[in-house]
Amino acid sequence: MDISIKVVGLSGLYVKAAGRLDLDNAVEYGAKIKDLIEDSDDVINDVTLDFSEITFISSFGLKVVLELYKQLKEQEGTLRLKDVSEQIMSSFKMVGFDKFLIFE
Amino acid sequence: MFKTVKSKILITAVVMLAILMLAFGCYAIISRMRTKQLMVQNYKFSISSYVEDINESVISLHDNLKSLALIGNLYYRTDRSNDLTDRVITRIFENYPQTLGGGIWFKPYAVDKSKKYNCFYAFRDKNNKIVVDKNFSSDKYDYPNQEWYKQIISQVTPERNIIWTKPYYENQGSYTMMVTAGTGIYVDGKLVGIATVDWKITSIMAEVSKMKPLERTFSMYKSGAEIKSSFTLFGNIKDDYIIASTDPYLENEKLIGHSLKEIPWYTSANDLFYTTYINYHGKKYVPFVNNLDNGMVLIICLPKSEMFKDVNKFYFAMLVIMLLLGLIIPALLYYRLKRYIVNPIDKLTDIAHKVSKGQDVEIKLEKPEEFAQLASTFDKMTKDIKLITKEKVKINSELSIAKTIQASSLPNVFPPFPDRPEFDIYASMEPAKEVGGDFYDFYLIDKDNLMFLVADVSGKGIPAALFMMTVKTLINNMSQMGYTPKQLIESINKKICESNKSGLFVTLLAGIVNIKTGATSLINCGHNPPLIKRQDGEYQYIRLRPNIVLGLFEDSQYHIYETTLNSGDIIFTYTDGITESTNLQEEMYGEERLQACLNENRYDNDVKDIVNNVKTDIKNYVGSAPQSDDVTMLVFKYCSDISKTERFFSQMAVPENYKPFYTWLHGVCDEWKLNDDLKNKLDMCSEEIFANITFYAYPSSNGTIEIKMNNTGSSVVMEYIDNGIEYNPLEKPDPDITLPPEERPLGGLGIFMVKQMADDIQYIREENLNRLIVTFNL
Repeated sequence: MDISIKVVGLSGLYVKAAGRLDLDNAVEYGAKIKDLIEDSDDVINDVTLDFSEITFISSFGLKVVLELYKQLKEQEGTLRLKDVSEQIMSSFKMVGFDKFLIFE
Repeated sequence: MFKTVKSKILITAVVMLAILMLAFGCYAIISRMRTKQLMVQNYKFSISSYVEDINESVISLHDNLKSLALIGNLYYRTDRSNDLTDRVITRIFENYPQTLGGGIWFKPYAVDKSKKYNCFYAFRDKNNKIVVDKNFSSDKYDYPNQEWYKQIISQVTPERNIIWTKPYYENQGSYTMMVTAGTGIYVDGKLVGIATVDWKITSIMAEVSKMKPLERTFSMYKSGAEIKSSFTLFGNIKDDYIIASTDPYLENEKLIGHSLKEIPWYTSANDLFYTTYINYHGKKYVPFVNNLDNGMVLIICLPKSEMFKDVNKFYFAMLVIMLLLGLIIPALLYYRLKRYIVNPIDKLTDIAHKVSKGQDVEIKLEKPEEFAQLASTFDKMTKDIKLITKEKVKINSELSIAKTIQASSLPNVFPPFPDRPEFDIYASMEPAKEVGGDFYDFYLIDKDNLMFLVADVSGKGIPAALFMMTVKTLINNMSQMGYTPKQLIESINKKICESNKSGLFVTLLAGIVNIKTGATSLINCGHNPPLIKRQDGEYQYIRLRPNIVLGLFEDSQYHIYETTLNSGDIIFTYTDGITESTNLQEEMYGEERLQACLNENRYDNDVKDIVNNVKTDIKNYVGSAPQSDDVTMLVFKYCSDISKTERFFSQMAVPENYKPFYTWLHGVCDEWKLNDDLKNKLDMCSEEIFANITFYAYPSSNGTIEIKMNNTGSSVVMEYIDNGIEYNPLEKPDPDITLPPEERPLGGLGIFMVKQMADDIQYIREENLNRLIVTFNL
């Protein structure tokens, strides 16, 4: 899975990936972002996940998103999801994530 | 910079000139030497002739002396008449005009015992008149005590009877520097007196200094010019004393009578052919040594620079001219070369640059003739190139049109038979050049029989493409005629042979499938072996009995391979462009890699995916190496029994098999043409259950997972089976999705989601098996 992560400003991250967030990829996806937040010298508290090229999300992907959300919430940060497809949106709705996630 | 024509010619010219100048220089040096030698010889002869004059006067002096001695003898032996003797002496002196004076001097008391002095002396007065002087026979002069007298009387012998005195000042009257020659007067062997003749040194030197040897000897020398500071030594070798010298650096008067060695440049060398130079006061002189008959020597030194002034001038002028020529000739050569060769070349180069940039340039040179010709040829060439380029552009555009025509002649709308779910077919051809020799084709011969084929025409480019079109049309036409497969291929071969005059041939792999029964005839005419996958097995090569290629022999027999396809079977055909794709290391892709690639993706049963997977694999393998041959593939999938809708997947329950699993799942979904929403649901649910079994069913060992997929027409029933520890996921409580996010646990979502999406879920524990049956309504 190709994951590109850009640092935006002092405290922002812009994450773009293509493909499936599933059993195979979700853990790697989450770990990469987490590592970057923890390794960064500045406090990262604004993360945007670009979902425009994510074609599929399973419970593993959802778990990663929730984990990330919690981590940011703890340090009073924000998690944003960008360009989420209808199909993936229905997955978020199914587990009630739509109530707290910020979609752009 | 030495690589240009200009510099090469210039260097050659300079070298040639240098050689010429060297040769000429050598010649000049030698000739100058010879000239000098000749000049020196001329000087020598010229000087000798002067010296000869002096010598003659010496001889005449000697004669004069002998005459005087004879008179003295007569006087002694005869009547001793003084008067007669005076007259005779006068007469003798008249006969010898060079003589200054002289006389007869008897020894004291020799003539008359009573008379001590007895002498006769005469001299030339200012008017050149001979005067007899009687004053010497007196005590006042006392001639026997004079130095000259003593010198002569003491040295004279009958054998050596002419004695020259050392120079002395005559202190009686004239006070000039004199040399006296004397001889003895012998009577009956007894010396009675001496006869003397005086020689005024100044007059000798004056005579010598009158010499103008240069003027007389060398015609190039300007007449009247004097030798500058030449000098003379006049000496007596026998008795080694200096008679006179005219060396401007010496006090000549004081040296008179001293040894010759006191003259620093005194030399006795006198070689006619070898010129000796003496160095004196920083100047070179050529000495000319002349011996006189009386044992005296006359050395004349001429300054070398003066002697050879004109010769040196001449050769210097020559040198200057040579140097000027040496500069002018290369300069001229350079100028001419630049103008007639280099400039035209530069001009043509400039024009060539402009032409290559596509500018329109008038190419014209008027001279030199060769370049004018070259320019006009060049002009013609440029015009021809433009014309050819134009044509080439046209051909290129025609070729690309041909490519389009060829591409569109192959069926390229997929799926080709959307209303025939019993089979699926996908094909692709990528030509190596603009137009290729590979082709594929497929069509329904009748309602139940489908023919598909891939072929490779020998050769490439336009001829191959044209032949390909002919063959393709031919096969298509022939296949409609109701032959059996064997009849069909044999008559196709015959027809191709008939129409093939250019020696091209075709390899072909064709299949004729009865869609209803799955009965299949495969024909391989010299083509690569196809691969077949039976349902959920692996791809295997079908090694058909090989047949000869089409188009070579009219009466060739062909063997047909008969088989029956079952639902889900796939045949993969291709051309050698695939197996012979080469990477940068010149290694071929090969049959094994092809098989491995197909098997790696064997759960992906989508015909288009199969083709694309192979394409990608080849692309990765080949890297940046250029495509050398057409790459053609055709995949045929048989799924005769549309009602038989059960699919089966079985693998080890490990995470690595997740991808093959969902690829298989997508394949089935596509095959059944399920909508995206359902496909997504199946995807999500299957993943949760696959993961659950993988992670939890076999805590201590590895086990399998089996998945059955059944399409009932109204629903899709998924059955997930494992023989791991007993586990009913339905017993797990649902998570509270209304909790604030901070309080929500991370896990437990999966099975909740499955419950949300599925229309029905059942768990059955049966004979150590966990069976989870999930139903999705269509």
